[in-house]
Amino acid sequence: MLEKVPASELKCVGHGTERIDTVEKVTGAAYYTGDLCFPGMLFGKVKRSPHAKARIVHIDTSRARALPGVHAVLTGADLDVRVGLYLVDKYVLARDVVRHFGEAVAAVAAESPEIARKAVDLIQVEYEPMTPVLDPAEAVKNGAPLVHPDLGSYDYVQEVFSPVGGTNIANISKYRKGDIEKGFAEADVIVEREYTNPSVQHVPMETHVSIGQWQPGDKIQIWTSAQSPFTVRNLFCHSFKLSHNQVRVFIPYVGGGFGGKAGIHLEPLACCLSRAAGGRPVKIQATREEEFSLLPCRSGLVNRIKTGVTRDGRIVAQQMTMLWDAGAYADYAVNVTRASGYSAAGPYEIPNAHIDAYTVYTNKPFGTAYRGFGHVEFSWGTERHMTILARAIGMDPLEFRKRNALRPGSITLTGEVIREHTGNVTKCMDTVARAIGYGEPLSKELEDREARTGKRIGKAVVALHKAPAMPPFTGTAVVLRMNEDGTVIATLSLTEIGAGTYTSIAQIIAEALKFPVERIKIPIENDTDRDPYDWQTVASKGLMLCGNAGILAARDLLNKAYDMAAQVLRANPCDLDHDADRIFVRHAPDQSVTFRSLAVGYAYPNGSGIGGPLVGVGRYIAQGLTNLDKETGQGLPALDWTYGAHGLVVEVDPITGEYEVLKVASAFDVGKAINPLAVRGQIIGGMIQGLGTAMCEGYIYDAAGKLLNPNFTDNKIPTSLDMPAEIEAYVVETPQIDGPYGARGVGEHSMIAICAALGNAIQDACGADLTKMPIRWEDVWRALKTAGPQVESSATIRNRAACNTRK
Amino acid sequence: MRIRVRVNGREYHQEAPDHWTLLRFLREGLGLTGTKEGCGAGECGACTIIMDGRTVNSCLVLAPEADGATIETIEGQAEGGKLTRLQEALHKHHAVQCGFCTPGMVMSIEAFLRVNPRPTVAEIKEAIEGNFCRCTGYQQIIEAVQEVTGQRQEQEELGHA
Amino acid sequence: MFHPFSYVAPRTKSELLGILRDDGDRSRLLAGGTDVLAELRFAREAPKLVIDIKKVRDFQGIRLVEGEGLSIGPRATCTDVLESPVVRQRYPLLAIAAGKLGSPQLRNRATPIGNLCTASPCADMAAAFLALGAWVELESAQGVRRVPVDSFFVGVKQTVVEPDEVVTRVVVPADMEGAAGDMEKLKRIRGHDLALASVALVKHGGKLRVAIGSCAPTPVVLPELPIETPVEEVVAEAHKVIKPIDDVRASAEYRTFMVGVFIERLMARIEPQQ
Repeated sequence: MLEKVPASELKCVGHGTERIDTVEKVTGAAYYTGDLCFPGMLFGKVKRSPHAKARIVHIDTSRARALPGVHAVLTGADLDVRVGLYLVDKYVLARDVVRHFGEAVAAVAAESPEIARKAVDLIQVEYEPMTPVLDPAEAVKNGAPLVHPDLGSYDYVQEVFSPVGGTNIANISKYRKGDIEKGFAEADVIVEREYTNPSVQHVPMETHVSIGQWQPGDKIQIWTSAQSPFTVRNLFCHSFKLSHNQVRVFIPYVGGGFGGKAGIHLEPLACCLSRAAGGRPVKIQATREEEFSLLPCRSGLVNRIKTGVTRDGRIVAQQMTMLWDAGAYADYAVNVTRASGYSAAGPYEIPNAHIDAYTVYTNKPFGTAYRGFGHVEFSWGTERHMTILARAIGMDPLEFRKRNALRPGSITLTGEVIREHTGNVTKCMDTVARAIGYGEPLSKELEDREARTGKRIGKAVVALHKAPAMPPFTGTAVVLRMNEDGTVIATLSLTEIGAGTYTSIAQIIAEALKFPVERIKIPIENDTDRDPYDWQTVASKGLMLCGNAGILAARDLLNKAYDMAAQVLRANPCDLDHDADRIFVRHAPDQSVTFRSLAVGYAYPNGSGIGGPLVGVGRYIAQGLTNLDKETGQGLPALDWTYGAHGLVVEVDPITGEYEVLKVASAFDVGKAINPLAVRGQIIGGMIQGLGTAMCEGYIYDAAGKLLNPNFTDNKIPTSLDMPAEIEAYVVETPQIDGPYGARGVGEHSMIAICAALGNAIQDACGADLTKMPIRWEDVWRALKTAGPQVESSATIRNRAACNTRK
Repeated sequence: MRIRVRVNGREYHQEAPDHWTLLRFLREGLGLTGTKEGCGAGECGACTIIMDGRTVNSCLVLAPEADGATIETIEGQAEGGKLTRLQEALHKHHAVQCGFCTPGMVMSIEAFLRVNPRPTVAEIKEAIEGNFCRCTGYQQIIEAVQEVTGQRQEQEELGHA
Repeated sequence: MFHPFSYVAPRTKSELLGILRDDGDRSRLLAGGTDVLAELRFAREAPKLVIDIKKVRDFQGIRLVEGEGLSIGPRATCTDVLESPVVRQRYPLLAIAAGKLGSPQLRNRATPIGNLCTASPCADMAAAFLALGAWVELESAQGVRRVPVDSFFVGVKQTVVEPDEVVTRVVVPADMEGAAGDMEKLKRIRGHDLALASVALVKHGGKLRVAIGSCAPTPVVLPELPIETPVEEVVAEAHKVIKPIDDVRASAEYRTFMVGVFIERLMARIEPQQ
């Protein structure tokens, strides 16, 4: 719904308005779930498995139950309840077997955290350890030990997913375009390589925490740090066979989610403990160590890519086999597999493609949604591969990308036609290339630096795209209520997890109402009993869908106000207009009525009333989208496509492998930057989070499947000292015609492909060829040490050219 | 142990178990929940407060160790509801996203600017490297600090291609 | 969140030594707390007593002691060391080492003596003290003894400190005053991290002293070498004393390699004081 307002006339949209939620955060007044305390509240704690796979022989809870101050002790035997977003495969507490290191096997609720901890220590669990399967390549082989022997009997979303009973395959997604054999036959050069990513954790600064209260009469209240209140409610009700009216979910301020809080996690257990404790509220807060293994992470990936190109730089065929290492439970991983499959070509036109993507169970902490939803993982491989392909045919990697980039008229992997207004990936690439001086000689300063230090500078440009991974029928609603003083409260169930979307939506609503943005309040907290439905706060779809719903709600509210005003002014509604304070007759503006006098119904001087409280309702649903054909992957899954690019400059010490990122420039086609400061914050924040995945993050297991680094000591994340020395963020604005004021989302995108940018730039600098992540200094050193005859790095060529010039 | 402590200018005499951390004492003993726990292990800095003029990770200080100390937490910054210049700058520069690291970040920067009122960017980065932020990527935080110190040379902006 | 324990903060050294005599084997000494409290989070059982040494009046800070050298007491934090004019001017390697430990918040609490007593193989201050030939003073109700830092560590996180003893000082000898020294620390990120390998190198009095951390069960020091020793020989000597392991942080191979690189860098960079 592109609002046809010239940019110069926009009063709210397009401005770096201060956020509506900062003041309480910057003063410490904002309250998060862990800050909440209720009368009679108990503290929950879980006992976790030290084994990756084991049969639970016996659990003795008698000493825990006898400890004074303990009000409930539960094991899997007490809870025959399974939960699952797409594939219902997970018990609330492990029953009969444990499937990953750190899995919860028992839980207690006690009057203090100390008693709870002591009670957990008193629970005795006898395990019979079994041989875990830890490598997805092993897990898919015939005869591999099964993580879920009963997979064939689980409920799942049949229209979308294809689990294979009797195996470790939770889902297969297939994509077929054109004729792959014919494509390879046309290729002059074929390159086949494998790229891998470990699991990484979201590391929200606030760990998962939930408070559950299951009152007698099955009235349930949940306070939780979560991204999707209606998903929590829906899955809870589904698992426990309750009516939606019986469960109320509150979400106060959330200290980061990044997808890790998008589903349902601690809520069922907190509620079950409460039920067992006679209805007293129970709070379970994950420690940081529990966050790393009890709560989920991002799936690992082994991605084998085989691509055929012609000598003149056209990709003619691409075959991919993706093994998604989903860990012990399917959770979001089956959808990550699906959504990555249809995006995995990258923002390029590939006429013949064949992708098989598998969600594979292993005995490890499981993967859930994480910013980028598979795209960070697969783009490591695809964007490294693009550069390798270019080098194989002697073409500049940026030229190669532009040659194959999607443009109006291109057909995507799923058969969608790209249009003028879809977005402009080439412009994103050109923008960042210019920003880092790609293809130009090094500046004098950098040249001198190279000569002086012996370190090598490398540059790379990568491209990316992503569409929201969501059901094709995803909808949302926004409700506006005018207060007596003419201010407006907007309620919605998108959650404000830090991205700043609420501020942008307030700006959109203000613009649509022609009110100053200060008059719009969006309460940060969410309440499923009071707020209208939203699917989930994921997928970078919130701004677009809720923004549109907000505009429609504004129109609805104005229509109702105009109706009342027309009566009061005895005017035709079509002759009315309004400003921030009043509705007036356009050709006789002194004839007006204030919004304040209409807000809760209009009262005539004699006391008679008309109308009623002003409430505007806007509903918006993604339209025209379809499921994907299960055999070919063809269909229309994409609400929108956000394109982007990163340019990265790195300096590498070729002796030690130490490197430093000197500059990152990132550009995204956001359609319209509703709030440029918020967009910039998302771009830079996501890029740094992506550099963390690239440089230093990743789960490390021993041979028995024990997680060796569940803490900040050994799972490092970027600090302020790890920032690139220079950071630039850009937007391209190809309007999204059906977006609010032309906007599309960008919450996830800056995390995507930055890993490959680093890998490509390092290769450019010193020739080190990396296919595994993270890229630690030691990994660069090792790659340089063990490499055979190397593809000459651009830095070497440049240096030699410079030397020759000087002679 | 009965602890005597001055927090944000106010005297408290209160019992706390010996094994409670200062963080827990502030949050549960005194009801000052602004300071957060991010890891409990002195790594992330979410629990940063100022104790006797120096920043510390309050998750690694025992409550009884604070007996006799002068403590400043996030709640003591804005006086009479008026934000400090630093808080205003963080607000204006979108340097706060989820907000969970923010109280600790504010206290680290506050203590730092008292001893280094005109820092270089490198010094700012050093000063906050013990405060993890997963949301912002730190850039807008640094720009907010530069606004406070009067060192912004030019507007850092979102580029439009 | 800890299992419950009792806390005591003795005001005098004799009070402290009395407590250690009676309960030393059931207690933990607490200075900065950045190691002790981090460990206690996971402890299966709490100690009976945590003894805070920061209120002991008789414990000295950082001072020069006639006839001895630089004396650092148990209350001195890494920040104190880093900011001390005496240390910066006369024993600058210690300021460098203190500055490499942790984050600003951790440095404000962590103490050099605590760092030595935790005796992690990665201890950031240990290599510097070893390179400077320091010694520690230990006291108990029985008396006082001195132990050179190169005899202080006996295993991974194990020292010669008896349950009834407390380290009251670490002293860098006066003849090391003005020694030219520097340190390199290998980390995984540029933010705070423990050392994957570290080298502290001192050039003084015609001699070369090299200490290495994170490459053996304890921090280690090479035998003193003549200052003219070529780099390759120094590296070869280093390789004789280190026994690095493969772990989640780094491989033995890379650690070994980087020790060599660090020695080269430090040898080139450090100008012996004239």
